[in-house]
Amino acid sequence: MDNNKYSVINTHVHNIDGFAKVTGRATYTFDVTLPNMLYGKILRSPHPHAKILKIDYSKALEFPGVVGVVTGKEDTLGVKQGIWRRYQDLCDEQVLTVDKVRYIGEPVAAVAALTEDIAEQALDLIEVDYEVLPAVYEPMEGIKKEAPEIHEGFERNINVTRHIEWGDTDAAFEEAEYVREDWFKVGGQHHVSMETRAAVSDYTPDGKLTIYHSNQSPYYLQALMAGVLGMREGDIRVISRYVGGAFGGKFELDGAIFCSAVLSKKLNRPVKIIYTREEDFIASKRRTPMFYYVRTGVKKDGTFLAREAKVFTNGGAYTGMGATALYLTGFFHSFPYRWRGYRFDGYRVYTNTLPSTSMRGFGAPQAMFTSEQQIEWIAADLGLDPIEMRRKNSHYPGYEVPGQATIGSCGIDQCYDEIQKWIKDKGTLPDNRAIGISACGFMTGGIFNWFDTPYAFSAAMVTINQDGTVELHVGAQDMGQGSNTTLAIICAETLGVKMEDIKLHASDTDHCPPDLGAWGSRQTLMTGNAVKMAAEDAKKQLLEFAYAHAHIVSKTGLNIVYDLDIKDRWVHNVARPERGVDYSELVRIALRGKEGQKIVGRGFYTPHRKGMISPAYSYMLQGVEVEIDEETGKIRLIDSLTAHDCGQPINHLGLIGQLEGAFSMAAGYGYLEYMPFEDGMLMNPNLVDYHMIRATEMPPTAVAEIDTYEPEGPYGAKEAGEGLTNPTAAAIGNAIFHRFGVQMKENPIRPEMILNALKEKKEQEKAGKKK
Amino acid sequence: MSEKAPVICPVCGKHAKTGSAIDCARHMFGTGDKAHKEWVDAQGLSFIDLLIEQATTPGNKSYELLAEYIEKAQGKK
Repeated sequence: MDNNKYSVINTHVHNIDGFAKVTGRATYTFDVTLPNMLYGKILRSPHPHAKILKIDYSKALEFPGVVGVVTGKEDTLGVKQGIWRRYQDLCDEQVLTVDKVRYIGEPVAAVAALTEDIAEQALDLIEVDYEVLPAVYEPMEGIKKEAPEIHEGFERNINVTRHIEWGDTDAAFEEAEYVREDWFKVGGQHHVSMETRAAVSDYTPDGKLTIYHSNQSPYYLQALMAGVLGMREGDIRVISRYVGGAFGGKFELDGAIFCSAVLSKKLNRPVKIIYTREEDFIASKRRTPMFYYVRTGVKKDGTFLAREAKVFTNGGAYTGMGATALYLTGFFHSFPYRWRGYRFDGYRVYTNTLPSTSMRGFGAPQAMFTSEQQIEWIAADLGLDPIEMRRKNSHYPGYEVPGQATIGSCGIDQCYDEIQKWIKDKGTLPDNRAIGISACGFMTGGIFNWFDTPYAFSAAMVTINQDGTVELHVGAQDMGQGSNTTLAIICAETLGVKMEDIKLHASDTDHCPPDLGAWGSRQTLMTGNAVKMAAEDAKKQLLEFAYAHAHIVSKTGLNIVYDLDIKDRWVHNVARPERGVDYSELVRIALRGKEGQKIVGRGFYTPHRKGMISPAYSYMLQGVEVEIDEETGKIRLIDSLTAHDCGQPINHLGLIGQLEGAFSMAAGYGYLEYMPFEDGMLMNPNLVDYHMIRATEMPPTAVAEIDTYEPEGPYGAKEAGEGLTNPTAAAIGNAIFHRFGVQMKENPIRPEMILNALKEKKEQEKAGKKK
Repeated sequence: MSEKAPVICPVCGKHAKTGSAIDCARHMFGTGDKAHKEWVDAQGLSFIDLLIEQATTPGNKSYELLAEYIEKAQGKK
């Protein structure tokens, strides 16, 4: 941050929502109460796979305080929807199912009552006749000929396939002097947002529907709800002012929004549905579990030649965003390295379990757990320095991933330097500790338009009031990651005003432009570019009046070669900065000049000609010092350093917070957060048995910022905060490898797995001695 | 020496990315709709079995086999 050339960017700006949040004034969906409001509860399937023969809710309707009941068959259009709107086959979920359930927890009916307790009790009075069907829970079972069919027409339960290939992979393998292949089993993970799924729907007799909802893309929710309710998008207003976390799990329709809207439409009263923590666990979605086969061919000097991966993902009952996660795991499995030949075959398989979808990292944490461990093992097999081996094969600025992506900025080389120094400075570690490293890269927003939006991916509007204050309207969604602050910073910097001048309006589809929302680390770059463009537009209009009244600004008149600018609310001659006028005065001149109309700046952004995946990529290398108890197999994280290239940092405090948060989630994925299922039932749907990392278990999470300049990003910025979910599981695995020489091929890496691996190793050593 | 004509998909007529039959096979697997599946099955192959074979064994055998059939079909035209 030294020598910062900016006034606002990369300074210590506090979160603009901070006061509202820390003083309890922020209104989350949970806090919304409307006159005459009812409370809804959802009856859920107890079976993993069954036909619904009959639903009798007459007793529930008679229960005092119950106002209405809805079922999929009687009260919905039965529309099969999905976020992949361009591909009808992948729109496979009815939310409130009509005739079949495909996982335990799937919504079957919903009740609205005067209180939540009454609604809960009424659920027990609904009688459902099921015909229980055979079920399948694992993808490798699901593809067998004899497996039950979960969705009609999807042979062998294959939901989606993805093939990525470049170069002559087979020829590259032929040339390899060393080939290694491994199978991995990579786990799921729950989003565990602090705020569970929540919605308040208010349908009024004039045919308008207002929905307060916890999500990460109000525009997506508005459009999806229009589709399933048979309404016009413009007649639906979605408001998501404050959101308590989402992490990739909240931009699809959920039972809360759908059932509350159907109930409200039927009863003409507002209906509120809040998921309990258990409901959120069993009936939302999760990170996609995967079986990963990886074959890698290299030269003996460590030059990477060929890689092949075959992946089966446990898709659960519905598609959701899982189709995107499948493609991205395939792409990022190649990162951040150059391969002469690369081939990925991915298969997403339906099972009778909780659907899997996107989650922070979007398929890349799974890819990196397998890739970065295998690379470490290859380095050990060949007696090479694992950092130097990675370095010689890494991406560089201008590199083209064949047919997929062009790399603009890339600071991975500096990342290697930082981690090498960190390891060196550590010196000799105690016997029970070791350091593991892992590299990765990540996208800065997705280029794909599977949602089929006709709008620009991001848009922004800047309006200047007579006192110089600025109204910034964006369609982006702050879900706790701080995007509102980041966008306000970009606006303030570009317009040349102070942070306190910016009033940001977001999260309301009636008053904000459409935007794809918060996923794939897209908002800083995409919405940021739109904000920058809108602010530049407004500033240009202001400066036109400044040029027209040059005698006021420059005092002596303005030479044609002189430029004017605004910085820190001072409109000035760039060549003679002391000569200028207060920004508010210029705003008043402009307002009069425009006959009283406010200055309005508009901006938008849609990526063009940027490859298949993303307009820009972040890079990082992480080192984690791990202590492992040989007797119990327990892991303790001692220290960590992440060297992270996010381009030009915009919101410095936000960046640090994002990186720390990502580490905690990534560490949990590495060794704690386990989702065991038995006959399709999640066995630990609560925060006692589902172990997330706790404050006392968090190691220091230092960050070495590698500042590069990303040409596509606003002020050179790119991704931060999601990509860092990718390396940690592999880094922990690599530390265990260096400590004991055992290879962990499944995550989360649980104590019993370490003990089993040690036992197996001892037995092998014993058998070897006997020979 | 005459250059090979670029391969086009026997179902939808799409030109293969590099003009090769293997790229056309990738396109057919990737599209995977009813029409493409039926064409593969009509050759005496099984679309789904080829897909599973590709998924469960190293290498590119399924694509190569389908590419042979595409080339044969191309030759017949």
